[in-house]
Amino acid sequence: MTSAGGWWVVILVVGLLNYLSRLSFIALFAKVEMPPLVARALRFVPAAMLMAIVVPAVVFSAPGTLAFSYTNPKVVAALAAAAVAWRTKNAVATMALGMVTLWLAQWLIARY
Amino acid sequence: MYFSRPDFVAGARDMAPSLIGLLPFGLVCGVGAQAAGASPLEALGMSALIFSGAAQILAAQLMAAGAPLAVTILTCFVIGLRFLMYSAAMAPHLKPLPSRWRHAVAFLLTDQAFAAAVRRFRDSGDTRNGASYALGTGVLLWATWQVSCTLGYWVGNVIPAAWSLDFVVPLCFLALLVPALEDGPTRIAALAAGIAVVALDSLPMRLSLICAGIVGIVAGLIAEAKRDAP
Repeated sequence: MTSAGGWWVVILVVGLLNYLSRLSFIALFAKVEMPPLVARALRFVPAAMLMAIVVPAVVFSAPGTLAFSYTNPKVVAALAAAAVAWRTKNAVATMALGMVTLWLAQWLIARY
Repeated sequence: MYFSRPDFVAGARDMAPSLIGLLPFGLVCGVGAQAAGASPLEALGMSALIFSGAAQILAAQLMAAGAPLAVTILTCFVIGLRFLMYSAAMAPHLKPLPSRWRHAVAFLLTDQAFAAAVRRFRDSGDTRNGASYALGTGVLLWATWQVSCTLGYWVGNVIPAAWSLDFVVPLCFLALLVPALEDGPTRIAALAAGIAVVALDSLPMRLSLICAGIVGIVAGLIAEAKRDAP
């Protein structure tokens, strides 16, 4: 177990780094114009980064174990949630239906 | 005077539904901090100052695993690199405001607050109103985050693991992802990033995340250049 001091080092340094990341371009582009290539590249950051966050949380049944299959309840739930997000653009509905689908899929896969 | 009270209240009100997703997320973070051996004050310090569920969960996992502090810090920094893109997208809207406004909105910048505030800036076209709205969303999210993380720390382990509440986290990101897939090149960017993040999974420090992001962005730029070529 790490010492108490270690926790505060992590909290203060990560807190500061997170804050600087959040402030970075807000502060920079208040002073200088945004280069066109940066503006073009930034358009793809949400799609690319969010996909990179979501996929591992869904397709791995355990760390390092790929389970991209209909027998993985998380894959079934994520596909259902994606359909809801596509149709409704509603975050609450996406999360609610995703969770209900996950529970149903877990129950069905355990049963059959 | 840049503060607009009605817009601040509207921001908080519009954020209320997403608190349903924030509560289980915060509970998971609180449980993680408790399981990793953080004291109550350290857990509060994480939620108040780091104010990022993904980074808090990673920090707790790495601290529990006894990872070197530098690795924990670097990993949390890498996962927070997505704030750079939110910051860039918010930048043009906050440019006319005094610097203390930029600092306040930046501190409260999160996935949800960013998505809501950018929509508001686009709809109202009024910087003063948009910034007060952003502040309203941010303050409500921050306050709720402290309550839910603290609740998770103290009572979180009464929630059965079989409920898989932690799955709310990727679902929340999925709800942000789908509207971002607005045309062919953005879909190619997402597809490339999704394949890359699995292919690069064995990289240390969750570097697969930022590397897959870069692969996706490059793929998107190439797809766009090809589409727009004469």
